[in-house]
Amino acid sequence: MREMISMIVVLTVLTAVSGGLLAAVKSGTEVRIENQVLKFQKAPAIKELFPKATNNPLAERFTVKDGKTEWQIFPTKLPDGSKAIAFETHGIGFAGPVGLMVGINLKTDHIVGARVTTHSETPGVGARAKDDPTFVSQFAGMSLDKKFAIKSDGGDIDGISGATFTSKGVCVAARQAKEIYRKLKPEILKQIK
Amino acid sequence: MEDLFVLAISCIFINNILLAQYLGNCPFLGTSKKMETAIGMAMAVIFVLVMAGGLTWIVNEYLLKTLDVEYLQTVSFILVIASLVQFVEMFLKKSIPALYSGLGIFLPLITTNCAVMGVALINMKEGYSFLEAIVASFAYAIGYGLALILFAGIRERILLARVPKPLQDTSIGLITAGIIAITFMSFKGMV
Amino acid sequence: MAQSLAKEFTKGLWAEIPPFRLVLGLCPTLAVTKTVENGIGMGVATAFVLVFSNLLVSMLRNLIPSKVRIACYIVIIATFVTIVELLMQAFTYPLYLKLGIFIPLIVVNCILLGRAEAFASKNSPILSLADGLGMGIGYTLALGALGGVREIIGHGTLTFWGGTPVFEMGAWFHPFAFMIQAPGAFVALGLMLCFMNLMGKQ
Repeated sequence: MREMISMIVVLTVLTAVSGGLLAAVKSGTEVRIENQVLKFQKAPAIKELFPKATNNPLAERFTVKDGKTEWQIFPTKLPDGSKAIAFETHGIGFAGPVGLMVGINLKTDHIVGARVTTHSETPGVGARAKDDPTFVSQFAGMSLDKKFAIKSDGGDIDGISGATFTSKGVCVAARQAKEIYRKLKPEILKQIK
Repeated sequence: MEDLFVLAISCIFINNILLAQYLGNCPFLGTSKKMETAIGMAMAVIFVLVMAGGLTWIVNEYLLKTLDVEYLQTVSFILVIASLVQFVEMFLKKSIPALYSGLGIFLPLITTNCAVMGVALINMKEGYSFLEAIVASFAYAIGYGLALILFAGIRERILLARVPKPLQDTSIGLITAGIIAITFMSFKGMV
Repeated sequence: MAQSLAKEFTKGLWAEIPPFRLVLGLCPTLAVTKTVENGIGMGVATAFVLVFSNLLVSMLRNLIPSKVRIACYIVIIATFVTIVELLMQAFTYPLYLKLGIFIPLIVVNCILLGRAEAFASKNSPILSLADGLGMGIGYTLALGALGGVREIIGHGTLTFWGGTPVFEMGAWFHPFAFMIQAPGAFVALGLMLCFMNLMGKQ
């Protein structure tokens, strides 16, 4: 009996200390982690999408809720004065998820541009989706009514040769972006300044 | 239904847990010297992985997400897996002794088999639904068993071959595994 | 005392260097050693957990009831793994992205539980610290070496932090992409083990 009690006490104390310690470390690093995600994952893509942004889309970011998921929206103003937003969606590539930052013009509903943020694709093959922007720049200027799929699937996008799965993954992310945008546009317009 | 089938195929062959995701290699090399032990380990992995896949999904969805403490994932998953293994061991010993005598010695090894923990983490990362998580866990386990049994068959033959001394045992085992991995790579692009 | 301390420390560097001599902790060894940078990053993360878990297990060794010792070790290890995960997210985010799922998987790296059970639970904290440091540094060296070999053959370059390659094979060399993919990992580690066997234990 004594042994039983000591077992329970030791395990309980240990897990409690562990939980407490982790909660402390978590709250201590939370802000830094968010900044790191923004800095390394999202900032470079946003900068490429809106090179002439007069505001700081990162600092003015806000979140929009769609059911349980929260979408981080980065607003900006284009050189011609119209407003645009960018947000990140995901598709599945050859070796895992591919993140795509999509910029959309709020006035014309046209895509301003798209950039791959994160991926784990093969260097020199699928990774070209990020390293060589010719593929994703096909999205720039497209209307949302176009079909975001590669040509062999009957869409309007030229795939990267040798990297069909990556190309398909990017298209999935683009389609998701279209869907989310159509669904959340009223909410976004409400929140945007 | 079709999606689940595609998921299963890709988990068994294309993303084979052992040969493409590099998970569960220590028991892979340790238990593949004999066909008999390989089959035992494969069965034990299938048994535990499906249960662990379901259980960790429930813990994550209803405990960690509701309490908003998803950073405790690692700690809670490993505890769930360790206690599950212990529980399965006790249960089998008492109620199905025949099965226990077959799987018994492999069960404790499974706690540190990173395939189990790895699949639990992959399920969460991919955001699978409960059903998808179960199917994926089962398919991953089948893939693991398949690779393990194939490998054990080859290894039994290598025992009879004259291998240069420095290459013996683990070294030649790893190179063989590499060659099996090449054959599994050709499944890529199937789905 | 000083002698045995030195012995415990140095055995991890050559005579019992994981994963070559002690064939433990293979999964991260195979998975993250595509480049020398990733290999070393993974090694350091594992070493950090190993040092602290060894120290704590050894300090608590008389308090932990033997029947639940494995569970206790796992909680201790998992706690430090999560701390490493959070710290890496906060301070070395690009590396965190590359290592991905293999950071939480440090928890099931058999080296950690192996050292806790085989060494730290039987020895004083100072000795356990030396053991953890030696094994950790040895593991880091091994992963770095494997990563270096695979990166040179697979990419034709050797890159440390900073982005510019410190070594390039030149234009005549066609990189073997095979080496940075899954099968190459197995073959490279197999050949590495063969090399270690040739070198002998001394």
